[in-house]
Amino acid sequence: MEVTIKKKYSFLKKTGLFFLIILIVSAAWLWYVFTEKYADTSQITPAYSMTALDLIHEFEKNDSLANKKYAEKIMVLSGEVSEVEGVDSTVNIKMADSTSGSYVIFAFQQQDFGLAKKIKLGEKVSIKGSCSGGAFSKILETEFITFKRCAINH
Amino acid sequence: MKKTILLIALVTVTGSIFAKNSVSVSDKEKSAIPSSQKAGPKKTTTSGTISFNATTAKDAKPKAENKTVIASIDIVEGTVAFEVIVKNFSFENPMMQEHFNSPVWMDSEKYPTATFKGNIANLNAINFKKDGTYAAEVKGDLTIHGVTKSVSSAGSISVVGGSIKVASDFNVALADYGVNGPAIAAGKVATESKVSVSAEMK
Repeated sequence: MEVTIKKKYSFLKKTGLFFLIILIVSAAWLWYVFTEKYADTSQITPAYSMTALDLIHEFEKNDSLANKKYAEKIMVLSGEVSEVEGVDSTVNIKMADSTSGSYVIFAFQQQDFGLAKKIKLGEKVSIKGSCSGGAFSKILETEFITFKRCAINH
Repeated sequence: MKKTILLIALVTVTGSIFAKNSVSVSDKEKSAIPSSQKAGPKKTTTSGTISFNATTAKDAKPKAENKTVIASIDIVEGTVAFEVIVKNFSFENPMMQEHFNSPVWMDSEKYPTATFKGNIANLNAINFKKDGTYAAEVKGDLTIHGVTKSVSSAGSISVVGGSIKVASDFNVALADYGVNGPAIAAGKVATESKVSVSAEMK
């Protein structure tokens, strides 16, 4: 009788411990997911590297396909700066196709605000960022492709 | 006589060829000029900002900003337009970004852009030739999540040395645009999102 009670007690203890561990791991995982912040883009390996003009031409050809391929991917784009536009305390950098007017625009992550402000019109640069996809602008009547959380690619 | 006619014909043809060439070069040069620097009544930018805040006491994360908003204003017609790629709203938290673009919320695969197209209702009260800040009332159609609604909003238009800055704060009831994620019922996302729009056009 005493042996059976001891066995039962041991079983409950083990089961309780198991559920406690599951609870702690789940809580830790939830805490991590809810408080996680994006990693520094400059530290992420890019999925694609190409020139800005090649990307523009791909979107101009078929933006549905290009969106499926590139949206939410980390990419490195190189090209000549066609415009530097002030926004809040920093700048956005644009690389445009001078023939069609279509363009790629890069909005920077906070740690790269200072470096972005040093970029000059006409300079050849390489920028790494998260592609948000592109669309045809009804206002400008050109294709535009946007990037977020960008970093200067060294 | 024959020679004179031939000469006139030659001059006319040559002239028209040169005229055609000069037009095409001019067009190419024109397209190379950044849109924001083109002169005329329509002024634009590709770096406007729209931020929204749908935070609640239970969750401080549902807020984001988009800094690549296309905006235009026609100071003669009084038209105002905005256009934005939904996926370029930038969140601090990766999970929040993923949820925002998912079919449960903005479904940005299906509805990749959000737009506004409207008019300045009190155009006569704004002097675009004189520097200053003017109160403005804008009315138009706001399209979010594939749903278009007529809206009106108060804001300001600042004229500084030829550049025009438009700013407005307003609320958007998410249910009006078919955005009904379960986190709204759970009190983690506000039923009305505060939206701030700002764009400086040159």
